[in-house]
Amino acid sequence: MAIALSFWGGSILFVIVVALILCKKIEDSGVKRWGATGSLFSYEKKEA
Amino acid sequence: MDISYIIVFGLYVVFLAWTSWKSSQQVESLSDFTTGGHRMGLLLGVGTSVATWVSVASVMGVPGFLYRTGIAAIIGWVAGWFLATAIMPILAYKVRRPEMPARTFPEFIRMRYEPFQKVSYLQLIVAVLMFVGYFIFSHLQVVGFGIVFSTITGIPYEWAIFGFLVFLIMTCTGGFWSVAATDTVNAILILVGLAFGLWAVLTATGGIGNILDAVAVTTAPVNVGGPPMKAGIMLTPEGSFGWGALMAIFMANAMGASVSPHWIARFMAPKNTKAAVLQMMWTVIVLIPIFICLIIIGLGAKALLPSLPAGKTTDYIMPLIVQQYAPPLVGAMTLIAIMAASVSTANSMLLHCGTSIYYDIYRALFPNREINEAKATNHLRISVFLLGIVAVLSAIKPPMLLAMGFTYVYGAFGAAFMWPVWFGLFWKRMNRSGAYAGIVIGTVGFIAARVMNATNPFVVGAALSLVAVLIAVFATSAPPKESYEAYFEPEASESTKEVARRIQQESDEKAKEKLALAPGK
Repeated sequence: MAIALSFWGGSILFVIVVALILCKKIEDSGVKRWGATGSLFSYEKKEA
Repeated sequence: MDISYIIVFGLYVVFLAWTSWKSSQQVESLSDFTTGGHRMGLLLGVGTSVATWVSVASVMGVPGFLYRTGIAAIIGWVAGWFLATAIMPILAYKVRRPEMPARTFPEFIRMRYEPFQKVSYLQLIVAVLMFVGYFIFSHLQVVGFGIVFSTITGIPYEWAIFGFLVFLIMTCTGGFWSVAATDTVNAILILVGLAFGLWAVLTATGGIGNILDAVAVTTAPVNVGGPPMKAGIMLTPEGSFGWGALMAIFMANAMGASVSPHWIARFMAPKNTKAAVLQMMWTVIVLIPIFICLIIIGLGAKALLPSLPAGKTTDYIMPLIVQQYAPPLVGAMTLIAIMAASVSTANSMLLHCGTSIYYDIYRALFPNREINEAKATNHLRISVFLLGIVAVLSAIKPPMLLAMGFTYVYGAFGAAFMWPVWFGLFWKRMNRSGAYAGIVIGTVGFIAARVMNATNPFVVGAALSLVAVLIAVFATSAPPKESYEAYFEPEASESTKEVARRIQQESDEKAKEKLALAPGK
């Protein structure tokens, strides 16, 4: 059971780490068209 | 049929009709119809991705395989599909980069590998492969729909499958936006319905401890009168598969699903690159409770109903358990949720089938024909509906188990498309010859390995494809920069933009305006 669940849990951790790294790369690029907003989890600037 | 079922079913149909009508108002262009005009927000993106993931293969097939083989199904299907989704942000990060992304997967292949060809035979080959794969997917969804609809109504399965067409008429009116909107509604329904199903199973069994105790010692055959199981096998990680076969299933599901054309198309729909990345991360998080429910229901089913009646496949376990052990209202919610899963995924798959026929195959064969925007969208709707009819007819005698059918198609997609997609996005040197070699050899290799009963046909196909790609790439010249630049540079050159503009203007005048209006860095 532990082996089966570790396959699953590993995949879940992997996606979170990968997504965070990619969002950081987008922020570092500063390309607004790609979704760089100054905030890691925000993909578009809210209208004032 | 209990009155609760009629009420819940009626409410679902009304809700589906309303969302379809609302979203059909948004259809403006062929681009909208195929990828929602590349302007989808995160909430809708996550909703549609979750609902596409949660198909009958997961809602009925996963509990079915848990019932049949035990926790090995967690490695083979649950972990396989989660790993596929975990890899997807890396692909989404590249696919959604261009200012003018492709609108279908075959068009993506064309823009990356044959940007200057008037007729792209690569686009044609990919569209034909997609058509076959998605037709099988749609067929499996209709089978799942028929099983649930016949369980709810008591109508024989062979007639129940025709009910699918009613749902198809509703949702194919609005194309991508309709599918996305109904998908989001369905995703919520699935989550709530499965939570009710979980509660019913836990109540009937007395808790997880009792379920594990029961499956640890069971020797009950899958079907009444069948061979008994080995005691304890249901809690071993490899189950009755053996590690070789289980890893084959795991890899086909993980690698194949991640490069499946419908997922590449999903990455094109969000507003921007970051929305595409976040969409897949949140999809995984939303999927966790859904799969916890499915795992417990699948194992709990073995404790509650040790053997299925003779002649019933394990795909029937979910509706049988829900009907027998859940209160009517809870049962209705759960079964409508399963039906929602089949309808939402089948719609999405048929849309991909229809677009591959109409948008990719027809246009590739007749590049000089004028295409009227409104006419094209209507033709696409008719194609989707006609394909739905064929999918229903093909489901009258289903030849395979739901989850295994998905694994075969994902294995074939993975063998054919893995290297052309990954190398295409991350290796500038990857060229047209490499793509032809990879797709053709990968497909042929997978089919040959499958026919010869190889343990891991996906690995055979993917390995042959890799060798073919590398030989072809290094034996031929480097690709033009117009083919890869948009995936590597923040700002593509004018010549690259011109290529994208030309390819997309062929059928969609709106693409012209979009490029002119697109914001820069």
